[in-house]
Amino acid sequence: MTTLTKRVITKKPEVLAPAGTLEKLKTAIRYGADAVFIGGNAYGLRSRAGNFTYEEMAEGVAFAREYNAKVYVAANMVAHEGDTEGAGDFFRTMRDIGIDAVIVSDPALIEICAMEAEGLPIHLSTQASATNYETLNFWKSEGLERVVLAREVSMEEIKEIRQKTDVEIEAFIHGAMCISYSGRCTLSNHMADRDANRGGCTQSCRWKYGLFELDEAAERTSLLGGGESGDMEEAFSMSAVDMAMIRYIPELVENGVDSLKIEGRMKSIHYVSTVANVYRQAIDAYCADPDNYVFNQEWEDELWKVAQRELSSGFYYGIPSEDEQLFGKPRKIPAYSFIGQVLAYDDETKIATIQQRNVFGQGDAIEFYGPGFTHFEQTIEEMWNEDDEPIDRAPNAMMIVKMRVLQPVRPYDMMRKQR
Amino acid sequence: MIELIATAESLGQAEKLLENVDTLYIGEDEFGLRLPASFSRAEQKEMIRLAHDAGRKVTVAVNALFHNDRIQAVLPYLEFLAEAGADAVTVGDPGVIHLMAQHGLQLPYLYDAQTMVTSANQVNFWAKRGAVGAVLARELTKEELLQISRQAIVPVEVLVYGATCIHQSKRPLVQNYFNYVGEAAAGQERTLFLSEPKKEDTHYSIYEDRNGTHIFATNDVSLAGQLDVLHEGGLLRWKLDGLFTKGDTFVRIAKQFNEARKLLEADLWTMVSAGWLQQEIQQHHPVGRSLDEGFFVKNPEDIA
Repeated sequence: MTTLTKRVITKKPEVLAPAGTLEKLKTAIRYGADAVFIGGNAYGLRSRAGNFTYEEMAEGVAFAREYNAKVYVAANMVAHEGDTEGAGDFFRTMRDIGIDAVIVSDPALIEICAMEAEGLPIHLSTQASATNYETLNFWKSEGLERVVLAREVSMEEIKEIRQKTDVEIEAFIHGAMCISYSGRCTLSNHMADRDANRGGCTQSCRWKYGLFELDEAAERTSLLGGGESGDMEEAFSMSAVDMAMIRYIPELVENGVDSLKIEGRMKSIHYVSTVANVYRQAIDAYCADPDNYVFNQEWEDELWKVAQRELSSGFYYGIPSEDEQLFGKPRKIPAYSFIGQVLAYDDETKIATIQQRNVFGQGDAIEFYGPGFTHFEQTIEEMWNEDDEPIDRAPNAMMIVKMRVLQPVRPYDMMRKQR
Repeated sequence: MIELIATAESLGQAEKLLENVDTLYIGEDEFGLRLPASFSRAEQKEMIRLAHDAGRKVTVAVNALFHNDRIQAVLPYLEFLAEAGADAVTVGDPGVIHLMAQHGLQLPYLYDAQTMVTSANQVNFWAKRGAVGAVLARELTKEELLQISRQAIVPVEVLVYGATCIHQSKRPLVQNYFNYVGEAAAGQERTLFLSEPKKEDTHYSIYEDRNGTHIFATNDVSLAGQLDVLHEGGLLRWKLDGLFTKGDTFVRIAKQFNEARKLLEADLWTMVSAGWLQQEIQQHHPVGRSLDEGFFVKNPEDIA
């Protein structure tokens, strides 16, 4: 088949990356994110995710502007009495700093934001578990700009939701998932006195439980069965593998998802750079020439290098079975360490200046990667310290190392090695 | 006036419950969450007739999270309920509220998004959008409940007896486990429990139905010893949930709460009556299940 004009998709979905710190924000954007989501010091769900001060937010916004990228702030806690005090000031500050939108789930906070910080766009958090088109229509009528879908929504359902709504849709494409419908879990509250919906989730869903039945005399009979080998008892667990939708970018684009979200504000710059880089490539490749698009296995291989668990397509193509849960011994995933970040490169001497992030030494097989999905591997030969003295190991955190590299590198390129 | 609301598992049980409670809480699994029984349309109609004949009311559970297929099916159901004369529905999905407004359905609704309903401001948000009441989350302390009671512009409902759901997953967690270990699943029986690692005495009920997997707190709630606090604090809608307390046992418990309510309203409630009620409830509570006062007696400061 021949066509006279090549189809090009100009309305590309946004790659939305997590940014737990200012460094992660800058990294995500350098590596191709169109937008990042961060946490403020209040009203968020990740109390330990390294939240931003107002000054850091302002710096993050200024940085994002240079790249034409957006910054969203998650304020997705489910408030109790007293928690919303000061929320009006907070939202006004967000607006005045230049934050592009806030991500909120609690209607009380949505109301405060809409009334007191007019002009600041509101996105409904996945915490509110929006699972059907009428729910999106409701929030649209309330003036929300975007709805983050529940992770339980299937691809078919997204297609129908798109047809029946005209509010922006955001969907998770990568990362760890709540086992419950988000927000509908208080395991932490009951088991550990920590409020899951106010930043205290203890991930109790990943624990190992007993499973038993009670007879009429309240006698317990354990129902735990044997594991894979049959001899060891297998604990009950809800824990599941993570999500990676890299193989299904065309369907997500064609179904009109406006924003593709990567989970993980607690994760490293190694993770955020790698994942943003991969999805940037896939989306650009598809939108540039959708009719001749070919999936590149290297993208998926790359995602595995920063995977904590195995990867799956979540609820997009069916209800997850036992194969998507974590039973038995954890299956081995080749683990990579982030060992350095490039600060400078001298084209004449072919010497790179690197900031150490983890121990490495002569003879190590390493890999460099950078924005635009550049990659190469080499073995470390000569190395020098900051004073140009030869060294064979780089043991100290953040120490400056110089080394000869086989291909040109750029500042902010990263260096990793297989553990 | 205190309103007693009780789940019903059969017409027979409903008939007896109506001697003691003001409102029956019923529904079908397709649209309602964690009900003791899923009723046919004919049964729901009959239940409403029965309650109305006794001068009582019926609230129907329409509080599930709906995916596209069911948001489509819910409108005819709501029309059926309006036609059948249901007095109110519980709703937790804003899509349902949107549909009711769009279609001008005259069916009062109580906002019930389970774990999410945690403040007066939130309740009032929905009240301004037509909710005539709200069902409060179980993770609220006494201080929080009293404050909500003072500030909410519609009445709020509190669980005084029954199990607390603490996790709803769309994943078939029980089925998946049994598939993995290669054993036949126990299906929809509601006799399974989880125990926490290193806390072997704990017993969290777990079961699956068409709404997913549901896990319940290790202790059921009984606020038998706190009814005067609720009464004085204006928390006057009391829910009795019979999901795990069956048949006549649940009727007996409802009867005791009714006695307690009468004493309170007649200003005859004493420490002795509180002790008596606690003992009665304890005695009738199913073997193997335990009771406590849940978050009511926790200090809000202790919950991080």
